[in-house]
Amino acid sequence: MNVIGTKTLLQKEVRRFLRVPGQTVLQPLISTTLYFVVFGYTLGGRQGEVNGVSYVSFIVPGLVFLGIANNAFLNSSSSFFITKIQGTIVDLLVAPLGATELLIGFVSGAMVRGLLVGLLTWAAALVFTGWHLAHAATTLLFLLLSAYVFAVLGLIAGIWAEKFEQINFFPTFLMLPLTFLGGVFYSVRALPEPFRTISLFNPVVHMVEGLRAGMLGLEEGSFLGLGLLVGLAMVATAVAHRMLSVGYRMKS
Amino acid sequence: MAAPVLEVSHLTKKYPKLTALEDVSVSIDAGEIFALLGPNGAGKTTLIGAICGLVRKTSGSIKLLGVDLDHDAITPRRDVGLVPQEINFDPFFSVRESLDLQLGYFGRPPDRARVDELLEALSLTSKADQPTRALSGGMKRRLLIAKALVHRPKLVFLDEPTAGVDVELRRDLWTYVRKLRSEGTTVVLTTHYLEEAEELADRVGIIDKGKLLLLEEKKALMKRLGERRLEVKLRDPVATIPDGASAGTLSDDRRTYVFVERAGTPSCADVLGALYAAHLPVAEVSMAPSKLEDVLIRVLRGNGGVS
Repeated sequence: MNVIGTKTLLQKEVRRFLRVPGQTVLQPLISTTLYFVVFGYTLGGRQGEVNGVSYVSFIVPGLVFLGIANNAFLNSSSSFFITKIQGTIVDLLVAPLGATELLIGFVSGAMVRGLLVGLLTWAAALVFTGWHLAHAATTLLFLLLSAYVFAVLGLIAGIWAEKFEQINFFPTFLMLPLTFLGGVFYSVRALPEPFRTISLFNPVVHMVEGLRAGMLGLEEGSFLGLGLLVGLAMVATAVAHRMLSVGYRMKS
Repeated sequence: MAAPVLEVSHLTKKYPKLTALEDVSVSIDAGEIFALLGPNGAGKTTLIGAICGLVRKTSGSIKLLGVDLDHDAITPRRDVGLVPQEINFDPFFSVRESLDLQLGYFGRPPDRARVDELLEALSLTSKADQPTRALSGGMKRRLLIAKALVHRPKLVFLDEPTAGVDVELRRDLWTYVRKLRSEGTTVVLTTHYLEEAEELADRVGIIDKGKLLLLEEKKALMKRLGERRLEVKLRDPVATIPDGASAGTLSDDRRTYVFVERAGTPSCADVLGALYAAHLPVAEVSMAPSKLEDVLIRVLRGNGGVS
């Protein structure tokens, strides 16, 4: 294991997004906070309580998730894709960095950005809702799991994509529907059938519910959902690792 | 005899519509400068790519620093450097940061002295803190070379390192390559500038259409296939030429004598000696030295013979 190499790749990934904080941290923080203000106050004011908490508080975990998932995904996908486009992938391929080192480096860098935006979103929301944390361990678990899964999925997208059009496909056609239909702004438990059951196949639902259970103490989420997420994380990891091992779309 | 640092055996790389490498075998000894020559699309970059982990081979084996890449493709890379043909740079980082990162990727701790030394050697010191995107093409090429050397590799691949750069960098690089060899580094070089190979290489490989046509010591190759053209202008026309110079020819006006020295012919010195001994009215003597370029052309035309 090339520990220094992996650490260097992580540092490079973090420094890369911190070079353009307006684009990588501030802009997503503002847009997520705007969701919070618009949905929570203007529209949500008419909602009253959901599952025993105010609607404004109810949507905070989902918005934290949105910040994490979008930014973890965008970081690894765009960073890896750009590395290929600008040719600096050669620097990594000739170095003694195996699939494991590359995976850890890119994914951990993306997780840092996702968690940074997610936690700043949470901090911004706390100004409106006040401090409340029901289960710290559950919250931490789902924060990390959400960041990890989307960082790995982003890496897969970055490895796969060969054109800018392809890299832009995922945020619009995958991330947006999955997150907006994933119970960020509503409880899928309240949906009529068959939409409720269909929604449970969306992994985002379980991430959001897990975060709600942790942050708000709501009786949402399930071990089955957690199992599904862990399974997804393992499959995504195996796919990304395999792509990196064989040099899929990196080596001719 | 030093142990080989690289052993390529029966390497083949096939693409769906093209065989880029066909049964290529080559062994590179520690401390030598090896020049791989051939026309565009001959397979030079594919061969280097297969060795450096950029190209997946179809068959054959590659042993890098004694390790078979089929068993461990990662560990030997710690001691290998590559200057790729295509210029690349990460616009987010400065020249110094790019070198620091590259050092880290190779598992080496930060080494400011080493980075400073390379910046100095490649005339990049004044650009050290500039973002890489602000560098000129030649400067970017210098940075690529520094990146390939920053971790003190034992084996360096220079794939067209001086393509599109000014004469100054070319000379600087040649000096640096000689310094590397004096320190025991093995250098594999591909180049379009045959003058470069002629200047630097101990051994030459000629590749075309994916096949290695020739592999030989440069001096022996030049002796075997090289030609030297001797031209003697005479003050007055002469009727005959002496026996010792009979391998040459006289022009129609009998005022110019031309002799081409090849393997198996008398030397230019012997021929010239015979002309003087016969008291021919020599006015002017010129000699064009043998060029690697001529050798390359002869080999590519099929006149070189595989050794």
